[in-house]
Amino acid sequence: MKLKLNEAISSPNDLHGLISELRDYAKWYGQNAIKKQVHAKHITHEQPELSPAAKAILQDWASEHPVSRASLDELIQSLEKHLKGAPIMTVTLAAPATTGIKKQLTAWCRDNIAPGVLVRFEFNRNLLGGMVVRYGSHIYDWSVRRQILDGRNKFPEVLRNA
Amino acid sequence: MNIFLVIFLLVDVLLIGIFAPMAIRHAQAHFWHKKQEGSGGTKHGAVQNGHLPPSVREHLLEEAQRNFQHVLDSSAKELQQDLAATTLEIHKLVEKMGTEAVASELENYRTRLAELQKKTEEDMAGMRETIAAQQEELKAKVAADIQAEKARLLTQIDTRLGDAVTSFLLDAMQYEVDLGAQGPYLTKLLEAHKDEFKKEVGDETKVE
Repeated sequence: MKLKLNEAISSPNDLHGLISELRDYAKWYGQNAIKKQVHAKHITHEQPELSPAAKAILQDWASEHPVSRASLDELIQSLEKHLKGAPIMTVTLAAPATTGIKKQLTAWCRDNIAPGVLVRFEFNRNLLGGMVVRYGSHIYDWSVRRQILDGRNKFPEVLRNA
Repeated sequence: MNIFLVIFLLVDVLLIGIFAPMAIRHAQAHFWHKKQEGSGGTKHGAVQNGHLPPSVREHLLEEAQRNFQHVLDSSAKELQQDLAATTLEIHKLVEKMGTEAVASELENYRTRLAELQKKTEEDMAGMRETIAAQQEELKAKVAADIQAEKARLLTQIDTRLGDAVTSFLLDAMQYEVDLGAQGPYLTKLLEAHKDEFKKEVGDETKVE
């Protein structure tokens, strides 16, 4: 099965968090399954809280695989493998990225570039606006600062024409 | 010098020509009279002394003296006239020679002066051309320098103006970032370079 990551899981850190969540869940699930098998009376461990993204990926996974400790481990391994091999794009904005912006850009990248691409978000106030995208060996500077600096020679001409 | 020498020799010859006949004549008269006196003394001395009265003899002597005086006067007069003529001629010749020499020297002087004037005019013309060429060259160089300096100053002003405006904009916009409004703009930027990203993904996939 091909993994489909939720837009909320955009960066490698997000994926790390998801894997960690799933590990806890798988651990709890395994322990819980054993206790059920042995009819243990006292089930002290509560189900870990899952994020919406983790729930979504578990639901996707469960639709094609029977939920078991082994299948959960397989999911975690798939995610770890994806983390190691996925293309990573770094987007630097002029301010901390909001969730909406993150989802919007991540969705666009996964729809248009590669389905499994991970997008790391950073911020730098000096950019003023726009963004700087680093992908592979390329850096694309589309910041407002860069545009102003590139257009500094045009200011005198504009002022003369005004 | 040769001309003066020739004139001097001519004058000498003239004087010799004047004095030589006079000397010969006097010599002849002297010797002939002595001879007559000698022969008369031997043959007719007694007769003459005996025949010629003293008054005749005195008269003859006076007449001879007059004749001699006359010849001497006429000779002196001729000599004086010749001398005056020669002097006049010499004077004319000297004057003519002086005039010719002065004229010749004056002509040489004028010729050399004309040559010098011509040469000076040529030199002056050359110098004028050189000065004019240098003036033109200097004017062109100064004009080019002024133009270059003007362009440099304009560029400097433009650069400083650009820097000032840029600095102002950067300072003014630093704390006015609204990412919410930039969403469509950011997506548009990515959309414009979609093919480059896809190509990059393709290259990475090939490498792997």
